[in-house]
Amino acid sequence: MIPGEEPKPEQEIVRARQRERAKIMAWLLGAFVILLFLITLAKIGMGK
Amino acid sequence: MQMTTPAALPADWRDLVALTKPRVMSLVVFTGLCGLLAAPVMPPLVIGFTAILCIALGAGAAGALNQWYEADLDAKMRRTANRPLPAGRLDRQTALHFGVGLASFSVILMELATNWLAALLLAASILFYVLIYTVWLKRRTAQNIVIGGAAGAFPPLIGWVAATGRIDLLPVLLFATIFLWTPPHFWALSLFVRSDYAAANVPMMPVVAGISATRRQIGAYSVIMAAAAIAPWPIGLTGWIYGIAAAGLGVVFVVFGFAVARSDATEPKQMGPEKRLFAFSILYLFILFAALVADRWLLA
Repeated sequence: MIPGEEPKPEQEIVRARQRERAKIMAWLLGAFVILLFLITLAKIGMGK
Repeated sequence: MQMTTPAALPADWRDLVALTKPRVMSLVVFTGLCGLLAAPVMPPLVIGFTAILCIALGAGAAGALNQWYEADLDAKMRRTANRPLPAGRLDRQTALHFGVGLASFSVILMELATNWLAALLLAASILFYVLIYTVWLKRRTAQNIVIGGAAGAFPPLIGWVAATGRIDLLPVLLFATIFLWTPPHFWALSLFVRSDYAAANVPMMPVVAGISATRRQIGAYSVIMAAAAIAPWPIGLTGWIYGIAAAGLGVVFVVFGFAVARSDATEPKQMGPEKRLFAFSILYLFILFAALVADRWLLA
């Protein structure tokens, strides 16, 4: 924190963390969907 | 034991990552990957990638559940006091949910992508680490590391089974190598952080049996481990690349192990051989498994 600067209200920090986590979760879910799609293609290719 | 510390803030994702013990995970992922690459059958790239991802997630889940259960111990040791739970940055219930969720996800995904045997072995390795090592053995017996070492020995076996769908002799010998590698690796560490374990009341070998007995055990295990690591070569499971690497590395490991056995240092500052063995043991495993893959791919 810069000297003299007002401390961030706790609610703001909570929101920032929630936003950050929601973004990461969205990316992970997107990656999971793509991974499942690729696994399905590979399984079909293997004849399973 | 304190069950839940309601945290004022939602967990920071960096603390959730720290809960998975990323540094330990790197060795687990590497040995798992080598087990998969050394297998005679190569699965499609995405299946192999998913198998390694599941091994990493399973190891992360086991690490998270270990930290959830051991938060009180971690708070007493300098080496671990800054972890998210003892430092108060994360509440225990979040750690528990994260660990159980990640463990379940990794096992289910492993079954979907590879086969039920690999998923079963992954589940067994997580349960072994959490229930047998963390909950049952660690606070009760000086043999905690000896038996608990089995949990860390699973990854190359899982990698192999994910590729082939069956258990063969080579991955079993790799399992045995890591199983026998774990005691000298951890006991070397526990010699120079003995006061930490004593303060936390963890019955590690140097705390319970004494420094001299631990040194003798390190010497003995070094010889047995080196022999187990070389074994796949004379029985024809690997070629000369792995054989020469295992023999050369084994000689160095035994020399370092015997240097620890002969040492009479009692102060951590004087424990050069112990620190050298600990550092080399990590390098040993990396080079040994890299040689296994090189052997399989260059001589196949």
